[in-house]
Order: sequence, then C-alpha cells, then structure tokens
Amino acid sequence: MTTLRDLLTRQREYGVLALLLLTLAVVGAINPAFLKIGNLRDMLVQDAPVVIVACGMTLVVVLGEIDISVGSQMALLATVLGLLTSPSHAHWPVATAVAAALGLGTLLGLINGLLVTFGRMPSIIVTLGMLTVLRGVSLALLNGQDITDLPVGLRVFGIGTFLGLPISLCTALVVVGLTVALARETPLGRRIYAAGSNPEAARLAGLPTPRLKLFAFTLTGFLTAVATIVHQTQFSVIQAGVGQGFELLVVTAVVVGGTSISGGRGTILGSFLSALMLGMVGSMLIFLRLGVSATYWERAIQGAFILVAVLADHLARQRRPRREAAP
Amino acid sequence: MKLPRGLPGRQELVLLGLLIGLLLLAGRLAPDFLTARAQIELSTHVWELALLALPMTLIILTAGIDLSVGSTMALCAVVFGLTFHAGWPVALDAALALAVGAAAGALNGVFVAFVRVHPLIVTLATLAAYRGIAEGISLGVPYSGFPPSFAFLGQGSVGGIPVPGLLFLVALAAVAVIVKFTPLGLTLSAIGYNETASRFSGLAVTRIKLWLYTGSGLTAGVAALLFAARRNTAKADIGTGMELDVITAVVLGGTSIFGGRGTLLGTVLGVLLIHETREFVSWEWSRDELNLIVTGSLLLVSVLADSLLSPKKR
Amino acid sequence: MRNNARSLLLLLLLLAAALLVGCGKHTESPTASSTAASGGKQITVCLLPKKKGLAYFTSCADGAQQAAKELGDVNLIYDGPTDGAPEKAASLIETWTLKGADAICVSPNDPSVLAPAMKAARAKGAHVLTWDADGQPDSRDYFVNQATSEQIGGALVDAMAKDLGGAQPTGKVAIVTATLTAANQNEWIAMMKERLKKYPQMQLVAIKPCNEDQSVAFQVTQDLMKAYPDLKGVFGISSVSFPGAAEAVKQAGKTGQVLVTGLSTPNAMKAYVQDGTVKSVILWNTQDLGYLTVYAAEALATGKLKPGATTFKAGRLGEKKIQGDNILLGNILVFTKDNIGKYDF
Repeated sequence: MTTLRDLLTRQREYGVLALLLLTLAVVGAINPAFLKIGNLRDMLVQDAPVVIVACGMTLVVVLGEIDISVGSQMALLATVLGLLTSPSHAHWPVATAVAAALGLGTLLGLINGLLVTFGRMPSIIVTLGMLTVLRGVSLALLNGQDITDLPVGLRVFGIGTFLGLPISLCTALVVVGLTVALARETPLGRRIYAAGSNPEAARLAGLPTPRLKLFAFTLTGFLTAVATIVHQTQFSVIQAGVGQGFELLVVTAVVVGGTSISGGRGTILGSFLSALMLGMVGSMLIFLRLGVSATYWERAIQGAFILVAVLADHLARQRRPRREAAP
Repeated sequence: MKLPRGLPGRQELVLLGLLIGLLLLAGRLAPDFLTARAQIELSTHVWELALLALPMTLIILTAGIDLSVGSTMALCAVVFGLTFHAGWPVALDAALALAVGAAAGALNGVFVAFVRVHPLIVTLATLAAYRGIAEGISLGVPYSGFPPSFAFLGQGSVGGIPVPGLLFLVALAAVAVIVKFTPLGLTLSAIGYNETASRFSGLAVTRIKLWLYTGSGLTAGVAALLFAARRNTAKADIGTGMELDVITAVVLGGTSIFGGRGTLLGTVLGVLLIHETREFVSWEWSRDELNLIVTGSLLLVSVLADSLLSPKKR
Repeated sequence: MRNNARSLLLLLLLLAAALLVGCGKHTESPTASSTAASGGKQITVCLLPKKKGLAYFTSCADGAQQAAKELGDVNLIYDGPTDGAPEKAASLIETWTLKGADAICVSPNDPSVLAPAMKAARAKGAHVLTWDADGQPDSRDYFVNQATSEQIGGALVDAMAKDLGGAQPTGKVAIVTATLTAANQNEWIAMMKERLKKYPQMQLVAIKPCNEDQSVAFQVTQDLMKAYPDLKGVFGISSVSFPGAAEAVKQAGKTGQVLVTGLSTPNAMKAYVQDGTVKSVILWNTQDLGYLTVYAAEALATGKLKPGATTFKAGRLGEKKIQGDNILLGNILVFTKDNIGKYDF
C-alpha cells in the first residue's frame, strides 16, 4: 500500500525535476553563464523564502486547508523587525527582536489555526481576511516611512555566510530537511497525511485533526518569520509593500509540486523542486537575452508553466486507477 | 423552490443589521454621506464588483471558484483598446472584447468541467496567464480617447440611475429569474452539496459548469467595458485584486465557500455592505490603511459570527 | 430560533457601531470639515500621492503639513491608494469632490484614468492641481512642476554618462523600473532613450520591472550582471528598485565596476553613497515640493493666485516663477558624497 502511494506521488516529483533540469539545460546551452555555480547559488538564495514557507504550506494543503495570508504576515514581521532593531526607533538588541519576530509569526499562524479549527471558518476566508487586515496594520505601523538604518547585527542574517554558504540557503536546506523528516518519519507527520487523505476515517479513528491543523498553521506562521528574518535582512531598507504577491508564489509552488488541493497527497520535496523551477522563470528570461519586449510576456510564461505542469500531472494521473471521489 | 431554511436567513439578517448600524453611525457623524446625490455618485465605484459577484455566487454555489476574473477584465480591456486604436468601429471592438471574455471563461470551464482539474488551480494559472497576455500584447500602454457615445455607458445616467447600475439591475433580475424559476437554482446547490450524487441523478453537471465559467468570463468582459467607459482607459493593469474583493463580498453575503448554500439576496447585501463600509471609512477618515483593516475585520467577524452560531456540522 | 436572530442582531449592531466609533479615535489624520467657500474660514486641501506609504511621498506630505500649519487656514487631508491603484485614486477624488473640497492636488499614477474624475471636480468648482507628475492639461488648473520627464530622464542619463567618464561614455546599461504599466516611469524611460542617443556608445540592453518589490529588484539586478558580464550601469528609477539594485551590486562585489544611479530619497541611499556603490542620486527637494503645492492650492482657493500670473509668493520659498500653467519649484538635486549628509528625508 505504502509503496504504491509512494510511486504515485513520486511521479509528480519526477515530472517537476525533469522540467527543472530541461530548463536548466536549454537555457544553459544558450547562455552558459546560467549554469555557473555562483548563479545557481544566487537562484537558490532568491528562492529561499518561498522554499521555507512552502514547507509549512505543504502540510497545510495536505490537511485540506490553505493559507493565503503569508505575504501580509511577512509584511508585518518585516515592519516589526525593522522598527524594533532600528536605532532611530525602539533600538532593541537584535537577538531580542529576532525572538520577538519569531514569536509574532508563530502567534499569527496560531490565530489562523484557531479561527479555522475552533472558529470553524473556511481557511480561505480566514486567511483572506487576515491578508487584508495584516497588510493594513503593517502599513499603519510603518506610517509611510522607510527604515534605513538596520543594524549590522541584523543584516548578518541576510548577507552572512555559514561554512561558505549564505545563511538563507543553509536555513532553507535545514528547514526542508527537518520538515521532510517530520513528514516521513514521525507519527505526527503520518497522522497529518492520514487526516488529509481521508478526514472521515481519521475522525472515526480518533485522530485529533483540529490539533493537527493548528500545528500546520502555526508552523507556517513560524516559518514565515524565519523566511522574513533571513530574506528581508538582505536589504538595507525596509519599506512598505514587502511580500506583496508572496502567497501566490508559495501556493503555486506547493500546488504545482504535486500537493493536491483536496488534501492527502503531496510532498515537501515536490514543493521544493517546484519552487526552484518557478523561481527560474524570471531569471531565465534575463539570461536568454530576449530583449526588452520579452519582459512583457514574463507573467504569461509563468502562467503557461503552471498550466503545463498541472496538465501533465493530471494526464499522468488519468492513467492510474481512479481514486474514489470523496463525498 | 426554497433553499434549506434557517442558515441563509440568519446571515442576511446579520448583514441587514450591520448595514443599518453603519448607516445610523454615518447619519450621526456625516449626514452629507447619506444624501441621495452622494450615494448615487459613490455607487459608480461598485457596479463592476456587483456585476462580477453574480456569476461568482453561482460558481461558488457549485463549490467552485474563479480567481481569474480580474485578469480576464484586463485581457478584454486590452483587446478593446487595441482594436479601437486600430481604427475598427467601437461596436465591433466591444463585441470582440466580450467574445474574448467568454472564450477565456470557457477555457477555464473546459479545464474545470472536462479535464476535471480543481478550479482553484485552473483559475490560479489563468490569473497569471490572462494578465500576462494582456501585458504582452499591449506592452503596458494605456488606450483611451473613446467616443462620448461609448463613455455614456460608464458615465451617463438614465432617470437619475447610472447606466452601469441599470445594467446591474437587469443582470440581477435575469439571474434571479433563472435561479428561482428554473430548476437551475436547485441544481447549483445540489452540485455544491454533492457533485457525485448530482451526476448520478442525471444532472448535466459538466455542461452547467462550463456555462457558469463562460458566463463569468463574459461578465468580466462587460465589467471591462464599463470600466473603460467610466475611466476612459483600457489598460493591462485594471481589475488587479478584483477577484479577492468579489469573493469577499460573496462570502460576506452568506454563500458558503464549500458550496451548496447561498442566495443572491445575500450577495447583494454583501456587496452593499462592503461598498458602504469602504466609502464611509474613506469619507470620514480618509485613510487607506484603515480601510484595509476594516474590510478584513468585517469579513472575519461576520463569517466567524455566522460560523459559531451555526449548528455543529459544517 | 427567532430569539437567537434578534439577540444576534442587537449584539452585532452594537459591535458594529462600537467598532466604527472606536476606529475613529485611533486615526490621526484630520477629519474633513464641512464645505468652506473660497475666502471662508477653513480651506480643505486634499493631497493625493501616487502610492501612499512610499517614503518619497511621505516627505512631500511633511512639507505640505508645514505649509498648512504656517498658513493657518488650511485643513490638509493626505490620503491615497496604498497599492497605487489608479482606480482607487480616482474614487478618492470623486469622494473629495462630493464632500466639497476646495482644492485637490493630484500626483497621478495614471493620467488618463484620473482625468474624468479631475475634470468633474473642476466642473463642480474645486481647484485641481497636479504635483510631482502631470496629468492631462485640461484636467487641472496648474502643475506644480519640480522637473519635467525630459529633465528627469536627461538627468539620469547624464549622471550615468558622467560617472562612466571619458569623452565618449561607453558601456551596456540596464533599467530597473517599477512596474511595466507605471505611466510615469514609462515616460521617463522614453526620455532616457531619447537622451541616450546623445551617447552612442552607451547601449541599453534591458528594461526590467521589479513590481514594487525590493527583493525582485535585487534579484533582477543580480541576474542582469550575470547575463551581461560586461554590464556597466544600472538605473534604478523608483525608490523601491534603486536600493535593491545597489544592494545587489554591493553584494556581488562589483562596487565601482557596475555603476548604479537612479531616483530615490537620500536616506535610503546614504550608505551606498558613502561606500561608493552609488555616485549620484537624482531627486529634488520633496519637502519643498509638498510645501509649494499646499501654498499654491491655498492661493488658488482664496483667489490670491489668479490666471495669467507669472509669479506668486510661497511662504519661505519666496517668489516662485509660473511658466504658463506650470508652477516651477526649481531644479533637480543631485545627491553625491559631498552633500547627501545635509539631507534627512
């Protein structure tokens, strides 16, 4: 039983991996600079925030829910981080501010989770409302200013390296590793997949589905804080408009990576590969040197990528025995 | 043909209550806001949203969703602008824009109904794809300079009611008639409650879904034309974020995102409440950040209230 | 069931009322006063930025607040779309018109979308000014002009050419803009292309949007440097794309090899100017711009400024020249290592 499921899921990962490698090969053939180690490393660093949050989001979607508020969470977290550490504002020690940011991210995720489980609200609505409210709060807090004096101690998260690799890259890899381990090896992970794939059976078996969902949302909030800390600190200025459209990137990565929106199926690895692949589209167009007009087609190409990936998987799934549609 | 009693009725009562509360507050703080003149002029901001909320209600009733309406608007607008710029007659340009809208919706419908991909995924992809195509073929250039006869569609009024408002009322009446007096109304809820059972009962689920998404695309085309007529501009960035606003209004109106439950009256009230809240916050405090907080909170509080006071089963 | 509905109704009515009244207490922007006829006690001036929340516009608003305080008879409202959506801006103009604003000062993100609303405002008796960027000439009384698109585009290209140095500045350059549909950036780009003709050895290889996201500007600049290893210069023509681009150049260790210039507030770029990543920052005195705009608006509304005037007195700025329907602020400022320390905005 497990072997069959693994095979079914792995097909999507293979598909995404194939598309990823194909794109690398084609663009690399046209412009070899694309394949340089420095560029690959930079692309990984650019994708890091999406990868980090996608780990949590995968679990959320596996459980049949969704979180479209992560972009606004990031905006609020970046604003708070900036205001707390900036010498012209609260001027807290970096360590305390980072801890506060992690705490706040966890709290935001917890709120989402509580509204979904105990509030019994649909997650798309909860996170849609939070998306709007948190964006408004972050803008009101920032009040039209730029925070331009971030201390070096904070910036080190964004531009520092650990054993030669950028901290954001290391963090992303660690997060992926830990989440994969959680999903595959721990009882918690198994319960999450069980609850997601057959909620009714899970309920009858006594699985604490609400608590699992609470965990998934809280984790996502925490990971959003982590992503904010290693990503937004790359820049010297914190401004309004952080994270706009970020949730779209994350959800797309998760969904294209094979996680079924109806729950129960999907892997962290798939989300990871998919995040890398989608993150390449923008860079790809620059390296292909297609000229100025090509820029106007970038979004259309992204949409096409998504459609192709989804269609391919869908057609592949048609050939497998059809699962019974959930009532 | 009545939908299951109780739950829809309560939500509408709640909305009505909130609306009355808001208007009472407005009356106390800013009486100018409540004058007929002000209300009619401010209403011009919401007709496109209201129009799009109609097919969205029907789609959400069937447990579907359409995230691509804003992008479809942009695509239709760009088609209209391009053809107008090329010198073709306005009527032809408008017809083409509507055709493109219907086609875009139909494409969504094909993927959802025939290929059976989840509507969230399909419309997420077309959200990017359609706007991307609009940007690609227009190169970001705005088209304007439409003739006054066309501008009348968006800026004119008949008997004191703005033309887009009249269009909305006609559309509302049409949809209401279809939903209440044909089996279609029950059918949509049935599909939302239990699609498999609906299919086995012989309902033409696939065809219905196809028509719904096509209709949504067509409506986006109409909304695009209304916008172009009102603001005298057709550009690839119009309608950005529109889909979330529409979904907010529909859900606020009591339509369950899981499908099966919802009324047109609820949607109308939801649209009205969102509109009045936004306009009043803008009128009285003029702070856009506040508007975001209030709108989001309104959605959360309203749905939470309804959910907590419903019987246990979702 | 009915009892539930009734008590729920009551509860929510109270909640709604409390929420809305409570919100009113937390805001700091002045509530609009009722209609004031020109020459009456309080003049309502509405200041509309392209995108509220950007530090650039906030500094203009600071100058505007100064002016309002000095004048004493101005009730200043500063608001605009936080996402820069022209439709929201147009709706705001319509709301203000309905409330009887005396003067509406618009920085149009999209002149053609805003034109009908601006014209309607004028028809209803409000004075309409544009500032920071111009609208359609028949939609406003005056344009408070800090620099034309031609001057801005020209200054950017000239600054890059000067930084590249030599009799014939040579090299590949790229532009990182805000969004593909941003009307003003597109105008500047058109002017930049014009000015580039003066430097035939400077080659424009790419124009990329950053979608108002610093991290995208960063990523795009990184990619550009790799895709075009002989890239010599990057223009960051928005206050979001400029710091992102500079950071990318700095982190790539290409300070001095790839020159970065663009438009931004000095504070955001101070660190880069000090370490040499950026040699010149193009802008103008934004506080003066806001200040002048409010003075002009008040003068129009009270009749102190009449059509045909060639100068008018704007508080601490002194006599300001009027060229046709343009009220001129002055010149473009170029911030360099020598003078950037003097400014704080």
